Amino acid sequence: MDPIIANDLMTYGKTVKKDRKTQWFQYVKPYLFLLPAIAIIIFWVYKPLLQTLQYSLYKWSMVPGTQPEYVGLANFTKLFKNKDFIPALKNTVIYIAGMLPFSVVLPLFIAAATHDLAGKAKNLYRALIFVPMIMPPVAVAIIFQWLLHPSNGLVNHLLLTWGITSDNIAFFANEAFAKTMIILISGWKMIGFSTLMFSSALSNIDFQYYEAAKLDGAGSIRRFFDMTLVLLSPTVMLMLMISVLFAGQWSFAYIDLLTTGGPFGSSTNIFYLMYKFAFNDLNVGLCAATATLFFIVFGIIALLMQFLSKKFAFYDN
Amino acid sequence: MIKKRVFTGLKHLLLMLLSFIAVFPIYWMIISSLKGDPEIFNYLPFSKDLKFENYQYAFQAMPIGKMLVNSFVNSAVQTVFQLIVAVLAAYGLVRWDFPGKTILYSLFTLTWLVPFQAIMIPNYVQINEWGLNGTVTAIILPYMASSFACISMYQAFASFPKALIDAGRMDGSGELQVLKNIVLPSMGASVASLGIILFINSWNDYMWPMLITKKLEQAPIQIGLKSFVGADVNMWGSMMAATTVSCLPILIIYLVLQRNIVDSFMKWGIK
Repeated sequence: MDPIIANDLMTYGKTVKKDRKTQWFQYVKPYLFLLPAIAIIIFWVYKPLLQTLQYSLYKWSMVPGTQPEYVGLANFTKLFKNKDFIPALKNTVIYIAGMLPFSVVLPLFIAAATHDLAGKAKNLYRALIFVPMIMPPVAVAIIFQWLLHPSNGLVNHLLLTWGITSDNIAFFANEAFAKTMIILISGWKMIGFSTLMFSSALSNIDFQYYEAAKLDGAGSIRRFFDMTLVLLSPTVMLMLMISVLFAGQWSFAYIDLLTTGGPFGSSTNIFYLMYKFAFNDLNVGLCAATATLFFIVFGIIALLMQFLSKKFAFYDN
Repeated sequence: MIKKRVFTGLKHLLLMLLSFIAVFPIYWMIISSLKGDPEIFNYLPFSKDLKFENYQYAFQAMPIGKMLVNSFVNSAVQTVFQLIVAVLAAYGLVRWDFPGKTILYSLFTLTWLVPFQAIMIPNYVQINEWGLNGTVTAIILPYMASSFACISMYQAFASFPKALIDAGRMDGSGELQVLKNIVLPSMGASVASLGIILFINSWNDYMWPMLITKKLEQAPIQIGLKSFVGADVNMWGSMMAATTVSCLPILIIYLVLQRNIVDSFMKWGIK
């Protein structure tokens, strides 16, 4: 063969190969960029989630060298017979309801009330009210343990000096107070964040609406209910959803650090119960069954709220 | 007019009260840590005689220095990994339209329906299998990527003009070069403020580090402190000193970058 043609053919072959390679590479490139994120999240979130669903059908104590034993739905029947389950369930609902004033109601009013304050004052208040949000939960728990200490705490000292109570109160060891205190502490940490969310949503609202309403002679209370609330409804729905889904988890650290679920299970909730099933009782199956149940229930709640939000929230485009 | 003034006055009163409630517990922590032994039970909102003996004692009684280093390593490594992974993912999502994009994106968003308690056992078993239980590495591994970081970064990148990326490609630069030389420089502020949020999040993380930590020497400071909660001894001064130290980095970051942090939280919400 003519050497020149042969040479041409060779380079031609090479370019075709190279083109194919680049084409193939072009096609894969986007996936390569997403690969680290997706791989890590699948490995540490979705794979374990499937494993948990599987564990809910097995009996296992996490002891190395032992094999999980298939028991079918026995874990679920055991769960409903467990004496701690129903009270924890009730408490979970109370925790969710108890958080709503701090995550939705109060922040909404504060955001509306401060909306037209001058810039400097607004920023100062925002900065201060927001501080609890970034505090480490362990530090928060220790601070409140000190403030509410039965014999040496500031709160008991003030209550006694002002004559409000005649005895020291052990807030975290008292059935009447434990849960309320956990809610108040979780709420203290939450209120700043929600207020910010509502304030930022408010500042995105077109002022013309307000001017028009003022011209129509609507008072500030009317304006709040007829306009602010309507225009903020997407944010209200979002905060409602976040609050319902996460209230139980926000209080986890405080339950663990301050009451360990007691006294007599009065401050425990479903998330803390799961932790106890797994790491106190070493009952993987029971914990996994609870997790499965709640994953389904909360999934349904989230879908429902998403649906409601689409249906009722007012979007201003 | 008078009615309006009264209204504004009431508003300020309400806000001052709320600000006080928000800040006072933190102030009480700091001031208690600075009171000497006899003073700590006098309940005065200030100290007549500032003392640092509580700090001295806390550092002697607990390996605070070591725990601080653990926390720094843990939070810094987590933040860097999460940022790198998120920047790559965000670039991939913004730069191309490709089959399966929506599905991959929803993998990020759906993670927030998965409570930690639903995945803790398999992850714990996994770490045990690798023989990593009790190490800082074990605390970091599951948090090398954060779906919150990916979503936030994607939203920040979405505003970047695509024409500039195409122009960069015309010059013959590779994708990573375009990302590094064209996209990142103008996204610096977004990356930095996301980084701060991620650092605070991992510094404050509680449950996973608690499950993993076995010894004080290997504990992040938050978890190290936990072992002193409930030990009902009257060393509140040094307890408050240790607690103050445990949130000092966060408080300093907040003091310096307060506007920035508030704005980024407003933009991005929580994990």
